[in-house]
Parts: sequence; C-alpha cells; structure tokens
Amino acid sequence: MPEISLAALAAQLFTGLVLGMIFVLLAIGLSLIFGVMNILNFAHATLWLVSGYVTFSIFTFLSQQFGASPWLLVPAIAGAVALMSAFGYALERLLIRHTYDRELPEQLLLTFALVLILGDAIKLIWGLENRRINLGVRPVEMLDTLVNPYQFVIIGTGFAVAAGLWYFLHRTRFGKIVRAAVYSRSMVSALGIRIPMIYAMVFALGVGLAALAGGVFLPLLPMALGVDLDIIVQCFAVVVIGGFGSMLGTFVASIIVGIVYSFSILFWPDGALAMIFLIVIAVLIVRPWGLFGTELRS
Amino acid sequence: MPTTANARGPGSRLYAGFGISGPVTPLLLAAALGVPWLPGEFWTHVGTEVLIFGLFAMSFNLLYGYMGQISFGHAAFFGVGAYATAMLFTALKGADGQIGVAQFLLSLLVGPPVAALAALVIGFFCVRLTGIYFAILSLAFGELLFYIVFSWYSFTKGDDGIQGLLPPPFFQDSTNFYFFTLAIVAAAAAVMWRITESPFGYALRTLRDNQRRAGFLGTNVRAHMLANFVIAGTFAGVAGALWGPFSRSVSPGLLGWGESGIAVFMTLIGGAGSFVGPMLGSVIYTMLQAVVKMYTVYWPLTIGTIILLIVLFAPGGILGTIDKRIQAMRARKP
Repeated sequence: MPEISLAALAAQLFTGLVLGMIFVLLAIGLSLIFGVMNILNFAHATLWLVSGYVTFSIFTFLSQQFGASPWLLVPAIAGAVALMSAFGYALERLLIRHTYDRELPEQLLLTFALVLILGDAIKLIWGLENRRINLGVRPVEMLDTLVNPYQFVIIGTGFAVAAGLWYFLHRTRFGKIVRAAVYSRSMVSALGIRIPMIYAMVFALGVGLAALAGGVFLPLLPMALGVDLDIIVQCFAVVVIGGFGSMLGTFVASIIVGIVYSFSILFWPDGALAMIFLIVIAVLIVRPWGLFGTELRS
Repeated sequence: MPTTANARGPGSRLYAGFGISGPVTPLLLAAALGVPWLPGEFWTHVGTEVLIFGLFAMSFNLLYGYMGQISFGHAAFFGVGAYATAMLFTALKGADGQIGVAQFLLSLLVGPPVAALAALVIGFFCVRLTGIYFAILSLAFGELLFYIVFSWYSFTKGDDGIQGLLPPPFFQDSTNFYFFTLAIVAAAAAVMWRITESPFGYALRTLRDNQRRAGFLGTNVRAHMLANFVIAGTFAGVAGALWGPFSRSVSPGLLGWGESGIAVFMTLIGGAGSFVGPMLGSVIYTMLQAVVKMYTVYWPLTIGTIILLIVLFAPGGILGTIDKRIQAMRARKP
C-alpha cells in the first residue's frame, strides 16, 4: 500500500462529502416519495439526468443572451427546478397515480418504462454528446492539495437543503401532513385532507430536488447517457442503508456511502462499487429496515 | 395467476385442463418447429434468441408468478451460467480455437450447477425477506456479482468479456444450433411444468397468496422459497450456458440489472399468470426488437412505451387479458 499522508486522507474525506451530497439531494427525494406514496421510483435518477440537460440548455441560452458568467447558473438551476417540478407533478397526475392500487411489480415496471422513454428522449433532444459547464473557477490550495472552491458550494447546498427539508417537514403545516401520511395514509385521509394532492406535491418536490442536484452538479459531473442507471442503484443502496422513509437515515447514509466510496477508490479501486453493495447486503440481512428506519413497513 | 379449470363451461378440453397455456403451447411449439423454414438465416438466429431468453424469463416467472416475489437480480444466474460455460469452454478448446463435441457438451453442462450454487448462496439470504426488500436484496446481490465479474480482470477478463466461443462445426450451422436449443429449452420447460404442477408447486402458490397461513398449515416457507430460488437459478443457468456458444461471446453486462429487467418485461408482456406467458413475451419482445432495430436506434423508447401501455391497460399481460375475457364469457353462458 502506498504511503498516504494525512492531507491526502483529508482530501479524500472532502471528496467523499461532495459525492455524498449528490446522494443527499437525490436519495432524500426518493425516500420521501417511497415513504409517502409507497412507490419505488426507478426513474428518479433519469429525471435528474434530464434536469442536468435542461439546466445546460438554459445556461447556454442565458450565456448567449447576456454574456458568459458563472452566476448565470443560479437562474438556470431555478428555471430547471421549476420546469422539472411541474413535469413531476404532471407525471404523477397522468401516469403514476394509476398504479397506487396495483401490485409492486407493476409500479416498478411503470417507472422502469419511464427510464427507457426519458433516456431515449434525451438522445432525441440533446444527442449523444456529454454535457457539462465550465465555470472557470480557479482551484485554491488548501492543506497542500488543490481544491475546487465550487465543491464548497455543493456541500453548502446539500446541508442547506437537508436543513430546509427538516424545517419544512417538522415546522410547517404541509410538512407535518406529509409526515403524517408516511405513518398512516388512511388516517390522514379520514381527517379530510386530500391525499391525491399530497401525493402529487410530494412527487413534484422529489423531482424538484433531483433537478436541483442535476443543476448543482453540472460543473463537476458531466451529464452523459446511461449514468442514471448506475446512480439509481446507488441511490437505492443509500435509501436501504438509511431506512425506507427515514429522512435522517437517508442523509446520514448518503454521507456514509459517499465517504466509503471515495476511500474505497483510494485503497481498492476495483472494489469501490462492490463495497457499497456489500454494505447494502449486510444491512438488509441484519436490519432490513435500515439504520434509522422503523420496522413499521416491513 | 394460474387459472382454475372450469369444467362446466364450453370451449376446448385443452383449455379446461391446462388453462390458457393449454391451447397456446401447441401453437408456440408448431411455430417454433416452422421457424427454420422461414427465408434467410436471420429469423433462425432470432428464433434461437427467443428460445434462450424465453427460458430465462420462464425461470424468472417461477419466482414471480408462482412464488409472488420479484427479483431484480435474476440475470446474475444467467450470467454466472454463461461465464461458467464460457470459462470451461475456453479452457477445453484447442490452440486452433476448435473444440470437440464432447468437450463442448461438457462445458454446457457446467453452467447450470454453478448457477445453482450461486442461487443457493444468494437465495439463502433473499428468502428471509419479501416484497420490496426481496427485490432490492436480489438487485444488490446481482450488482455485486456484476461488479465482481466486471473488476476481476485476471479471472473473468473484466469488461473485455470472453470471446471466441465457436462451437464445433455441426453446431455452427444456425439451423442445427436452433434445433439443439429448441430440444434443450423444451426439455427444461417440461421439467419446470412438472415442478409447478407438483405438490411443491402448489405449496408455492399457497405461500404466494398468504405466507403466514401457509406457515400455519405446516409448510416450511423458507425451505420452499429457497428450493424454488435454486430451481429458478438453475434454469436461468441453462439459458445462460446456451447464450455463450450462441453469441460466441459473454460480457459482464449479462449479469447487470438491465438484463434482469428484460426477464421482467417479457414476463409482464406475455402474462405472469400462465406458464407459457413469459415465452410468448419473449417471442414478442425479441422479434419486435429485431424488427425495430432494423429501422431505428430508439428501441428503448419503443419498448418503454409498450410496457407503459401494458401496465396501464392490460395489467395481466397478453395471455392474462385473453384469459380474463374467456373466463368472463364462460361465466355468462350457463
């Protein structure tokens, strides 16, 4: 094993944290959708990928209109989040709601079909080329290594979104209804709250978060066809490790997976992805409801 | 799900005895025997692919249709069977790339037991869970095996895959290989049919419908599920073993969850509720793929739309929907 300095370890920890943030943004939405609607959304990462392309298009358009500036990423992301949330809302109303009373495999199949359709839609609209944005930010030197300062933006976004979601779920009326729906849909419905609207909103929120992830990661991670297929199984892994429907668990598991992944790459590059699935298997065998989940829905 | 025979109603006795699989099986078999007479080698090739994937999908349906659990890692056993065969094949073939008939058959024989062993280990853990947890655990194991095959270059050749699996001269002829595959697949299907109609098969249906009640009735639920998991894995291994010599190569993608998805698609298109449903699904899926790919690269879009329509409008698959119509007709007539 090569000599590894403390600084290199710190850098790896930092990279892991950045990587963990993509899971925070994606898996919390996935977990929320599963917790409330009992739908395992295979298309979540594909919607994330679509959002990345949408953000790219808006960013390019704005750059042509107003001249290139990294700050244009902010309105581009805002636009993509708004568009994709609306798309998510429509998707739930038009397709997904028809499968609530169906069996699990059919629900899986429906979102699986969306993966294929959206993947090809990307190919039709944006072609085969990878898309990324170059913000032209200079790396800064910290602890003897070069760090892209944009990574702090990502970590900040991840924590801000997690905190915002916590506030939303625990301190607002709508958030409390959503949490109540995780525990008992029929009870919430009996209290006169329109469950279908809650579902559509939660789905839109989840897709919105995925869109945010797509936009925020665009300067670091090139959007490429097929990436969604790898990301989605890793998101499932995160949700399983944290516990289905548990936001805190998903948050912690995201960071764990991100850090484990980045350290595996340092010590055992070939086994990095296998490592994550080993953890999933261990968790499912010992605690199928995950680290922070409850046995409620097994 | 498998239909109960309604002896009073009109219609063929074939239907009354075997459900919708009764009339469909002879049709499929007749069509299968006629394939090599279609003009051009192309359709014989597609026909072989239909059979191999049909067997794979039928083995998947032992888990889904008969046991009620959806596996997203079933391709792992297809892939393990394919790799076991491909590796022995490579070891046995001569320096000139030729392989003897006996060695060829021996390498085919090694795929299923290795797949069964993998299914025994993975199934041991998977059958402890049900529903969504079963689906994800099988997915995780499948992905684990995929990454092992993908990364372990010295043993599996990693993402290069294994090439040059050229069968002996007799089997290089596409018609001969087709009939060889047809014989194996038909024999495998007959064994699977026998299993599903045995007391064991009915115990599986019981625990599919109500696991707790099956347990109270004295069925050893986990042992039954594990046995079925191993059986399903073994037949997936048979299909996998055939795949290598057919396509002349194997690659890690065979173990991935996209490949598992194909079995799920075929089963859902044909109908999970009948024994031959997955095979019919394979006929439709594979032939459609062959035709669509001639005209467009947007095959995923096509199949995605079809799946979407089936989930929304024909939840039981094609055979399930036809079966429901027949049942309704029988119920109306005295």
